[in-house]
Amino acid sequence: MAATVAESYVPRRARSETIRKAVIYAILAAIALLFAVPFVWTIATSFKTIPDSVNVTLLPHPFTTSAWREVWTQYDFKRFIENSLFLAVVITACNILIGGLGGYAFARLRFPGRNVLFLLVLGTLMVPDQLRLIPIFVMLTHWHLIQTFRGYILINLVTATNLFFMRQYFLTIPKDFEEAAKLDGAGYFKTFWRVMLPLALPAIAALAILQFQGTWNDFFWPLIIFGQGSPHLYTVQLGLAELNFSYSTLWPEIMAGSVIAILPILAIFLVFQRYFVAGAVAAGVKG
Amino acid sequence: MTATTVTNTAVPRSSSLSGAKIREAAWGYAFVAVPMTVFGLFFLYPFGYAMYISFFKWGILGKAPGTASVGFHNYSEVLHDQVFHIAVKNTLEYTVGVLPLEMAIGLLMALVVNQAVRGRAFWRAAFYFPSLASSVAMMTIALYLGASDGLINKVFGTTTPWFSTAGTVTWAIVVLNAWTTSGTVMLFYLAALQAIPTDVYEAASVDNTGRWRTFWRITFPLLRPGHFFVMVVFGIGALKVFDQQFIASNGTGGPNNSTQTLMLYIYREAFGVFDFGMAAAAGTIVFIGIFALTVVQWLTVGRRDAT
Repeated sequence: MAATVAESYVPRRARSETIRKAVIYAILAAIALLFAVPFVWTIATSFKTIPDSVNVTLLPHPFTTSAWREVWTQYDFKRFIENSLFLAVVITACNILIGGLGGYAFARLRFPGRNVLFLLVLGTLMVPDQLRLIPIFVMLTHWHLIQTFRGYILINLVTATNLFFMRQYFLTIPKDFEEAAKLDGAGYFKTFWRVMLPLALPAIAALAILQFQGTWNDFFWPLIIFGQGSPHLYTVQLGLAELNFSYSTLWPEIMAGSVIAILPILAIFLVFQRYFVAGAVAAGVKG
Repeated sequence: MTATTVTNTAVPRSSSLSGAKIREAAWGYAFVAVPMTVFGLFFLYPFGYAMYISFFKWGILGKAPGTASVGFHNYSEVLHDQVFHIAVKNTLEYTVGVLPLEMAIGLLMALVVNQAVRGRAFWRAAFYFPSLASSVAMMTIALYLGASDGLINKVFGTTTPWFSTAGTVTWAIVVLNAWTTSGTVMLFYLAALQAIPTDVYEAASVDNTGRWRTFWRITFPLLRPGHFFVMVVFGIGALKVFDQQFIASNGTGGPNNSTQTLMLYIYREAFGVFDFGMAAAAGTIVFIGIFALTVVQWLTVGRRDAT
């Protein structure tokens, strides 16, 4: 009796399992296809001629790299890439160093007013860009830092999210390391620089990748600070927007510019995938 | 009586002020000096400064020396401005449209990626990547695909330029941004799914509950903290929408104000007509709105989830 129940039960279970698997893979493939088509289409178009760019054919006919050459030289993307890279590297380095120093102090050093100051750090998360836009523009104008890289770097030296992220990581490191350093006679800065910062390498990697991506993709603040008449300071995103506005039917060139805007982040993502995922969730969990 | 309490607290405190503690505190202040200066100058001070500016007639060159405050004049101008009403309506329509869509797609992706499927890391990466790509590039690609002679119209045999038609642009951007944000939503749902204890599912399988019922009766309700987290974070994010509308309209907010959003309205007041007082007033109004929403959120659902 018991055996017959089990026998009739198992095949049904197995069949429903197969159906379940098929449904899951169908969903996966459908989403992936839907997500991939625009990217594939973009790359294909960047190798097309202008008349060919409105045809519904995937393969370019004729195949040409002229859009890429024009984007690089005539539309100045070489300079935009240099500008974007410079800003992203400098700002990422500043965020690691300053966010790391602040995060370490809030995690480990005791000083009067620490909790109040830390509340202020978290309070910055409540101030939206809608509100900061006008006063920051006015301040940078007063200080003659509008239309300069220095102005953009200054307002991006460190974010509360990055400082908080470093603090949380330092809290997980056992105190033994610092005590050993102290016994060796190391001061606070040396302990931070030689012991704690190297131990926080996984956190630094996640922070660096997300900050680089954030600065590379930033459109709003470069538009405010460089957009009012400084084309030589344009980042890739500003340059791409400008290309869109000025030559709205040059699809091969515009698509080549879009690939340039996306490609570095794709490359970094493919290499450092797990840091992206860890960082995004940790940065989000703070609220 | 008072004297004893004073000495009681004063004695241990003064004895604890050893040299080592002072040194530690000094280094603490030194380490937080730069970040606190940055936060003070570019977050906390602007908070008050924006409100100050909002009470003046303030142009590109600042306020004329010695001019008096205009009181709430800028606020009443903003609140009576037809274009501001349209910006509020567009932004809310966008938010109400995009939020359920990105949550549904993000949850669906999290559910399938959370299964024991082959190449999990690949699928997860493929779904997440559009969230990392630049918003300008994604909008540019969408403009190309959605142009009157673009791929989407060729496939469906239509000729609507989806991003430059007043009636369709908001919804076209909703679809675009659902695509470019659902990957991040997926990550948060994955974290929330993994926080559900497995014995709950074991109990369901003992009861022989069907998969569909298991999802709606067990998984979905248990994801409640995840739902609310995503709603708050992505809801507030959606209220900031700017890049897509700016690119679609060349910064004008057209056609027919159909791409006016709150952020674009503030931008245009500042850099279109150079009325910084109006722009600051609009920014303050938006801040108050976001703050009120956050407080209501926290009081109604956040507190229950915290316990």
